[in-house]
Amino acid sequence: MVDLGVSKAPAVAGRRPSGVARREWMQEVAALTRRWYLQLVRDRLNLVFSLTQPAFWLIFFGGAMGRAVDTDVIGTTNYVGFMLAGIIAFTVVTNAMTGAMPLLWDKETGYLDKLLSMPMARSSLIVSRFLFQFGVGTAQVLLVFLVAVATAVDIAAGPLGALTILVVAGLLSMSFSAIFTALAFRVPTHGTFFAITGFVTLPLVFMSNAFVPIEAMPDWMAAFARANPLSYAVDAVRTLILDGWAPGVAGSMAILAAFAGICLGLATFEFRRHTGLRVD
Amino acid sequence: MAASVVTDGLTRVFGDYTAVDSLDLSVEEGEIYGLLGPNGAGKTTTIRMLTTLLVPTSGSARVCGFDVSTQPREVRRRLGYVMQSIPWQVNRQLKARELVEIEAGLHHVPPKKVRAAAEEALDLVGLLPFADRTIEQFSGGMHKRLDLACGLLHRPDLLVLDEPTLGLDVQSRHRIWDYVRTLGEGGVTVLLATNYLDEADRLCNRLTIIDRGRAVVTGSPADLKRAVGGDVLEIASSDAASLRDSIAQHDWVNRIVAGDNGNLYVYVDDASRALPEVMRMALGRGLALDRVTYTQPTLDDVFLLHTGTQLREKVSA
Repeated sequence: MVDLGVSKAPAVAGRRPSGVARREWMQEVAALTRRWYLQLVRDRLNLVFSLTQPAFWLIFFGGAMGRAVDTDVIGTTNYVGFMLAGIIAFTVVTNAMTGAMPLLWDKETGYLDKLLSMPMARSSLIVSRFLFQFGVGTAQVLLVFLVAVATAVDIAAGPLGALTILVVAGLLSMSFSAIFTALAFRVPTHGTFFAITGFVTLPLVFMSNAFVPIEAMPDWMAAFARANPLSYAVDAVRTLILDGWAPGVAGSMAILAAFAGICLGLATFEFRRHTGLRVD
Repeated sequence: MAASVVTDGLTRVFGDYTAVDSLDLSVEEGEIYGLLGPNGAGKTTTIRMLTTLLVPTSGSARVCGFDVSTQPREVRRRLGYVMQSIPWQVNRQLKARELVEIEAGLHHVPPKKVRAAAEEALDLVGLLPFADRTIEQFSGGMHKRLDLACGLLHRPDLLVLDEPTLGLDVQSRHRIWDYVRTLGEGGVTVLLATNYLDEADRLCNRLTIIDRGRAVVTGSPADLKRAVGGDVLEIASSDAASLRDSIAQHDWVNRIVAGDNGNLYVYVDDASRALPEVMRMALGRGLALDRVTYTQPTLDDVFLLHTGTQLREKVSA
């Protein structure tokens, strides 16, 4: 028998030394991330489609719509450049939705219970999932970028601007991953999950400035779009691509960061509520 | 011997339904201990409380010396849990080795030893040759063995098995039983929930029969069966009621119970003497006898004696 040396020493007053606890937490996150990663890469077809889909959107949708769009309305002759921000936002939202599904399946099949019977911190489950989603989202956005740059979009804010766009995409990804994860824990079955996400996702994207500027919308729709956090992400990204550094970018990012904070709080609350039937 | 599991008035209520009602259990270290009862008896609810997945409504439970309500993480560190339903689809793309290694990480097996521990666990359940196959290629029996490997790879002090052979073919069941016995001989405490009489009879040192959330009786299979009496005559008759009245008058009858299947179960000290008596009486009074058999008492007789119903009938129903 291998001597495992798994520490079962009772924690003094319910606490283990913080170094041990941190090491254990990192190990949990690493193990779970490996599971998320293997689940994704073993599903080759799904991986290829979900990674390349946004780039295809940009090429086909952008190429076709570009000619039909009034350049006065969008304020630039570069529709692909205009649309890039919208595609990034759309990618992040759909990615966040599909990203909630592994946890949804774990919950529904009962594997979540098995996980919860193990001696891991509840937070490692959520944190590993968000970090992983963040990684996948970044890879998608990078791919869209490469395609966009190859099809003659210049990023006005330069390489640092591109990096900032990744940060914006990251914040947005975190927010929506959190929202959809909260939903996954809230709904009774996956049927409800898909009904709600199917209903909400497209209006959410189209009631923002992702593909149409707010100024071109009817008043009621513009009101929605201004309240839609997605608009602030799109605004920041679009400004960086088309105009370069502008004071509005920092403001948009601040709003986005606040939104991300609220969403993470909500997801944590729903996760606790769901797992609260159990003890911890 | 120290106690591995102790519950005191453990109760769980869902709405107005009491799933587990004032359960007192005491499982010693090193025992293979059974919870035997029909579906819906409260076995899984009990296990969910002991594995810290469900808060007791009242009462308390200590597992491996720690309170499930106030020290759940200490309990989880010492626990191996093999669930009843096999959620293998959720990990279908993973290789067996990968899943076991991932769960080893979640149990804090030191990173350098993860590989060796995973291989050892897979070897114990005979899955090492299939370690690099994806889980979707496994049969039902192999899934259960993989679950078992995951449950014991971190050498838990207590292994909790919820219906470990449900839906498996005979060969797979015997294999699982062999592994559980090996574990028991190795000193692991095993808490086993089952509705299979033969499983409880063959594996458990002691067991508690549970029905409708309540503990009915506790003891070793041998003691429980001995308490039923010497032998059991099972009589199928179209005149069961009259036959029962006639038999009941005799002093060699310890007890008569009518089963859910309509047959009479006559508990006697010595079937070889009672059998001719029954025959003689039935013939003398012109009562029909369709079939008479006699057996040593089984756990089904124990269940019938204490609950008035038959587990066998409930499970097959």
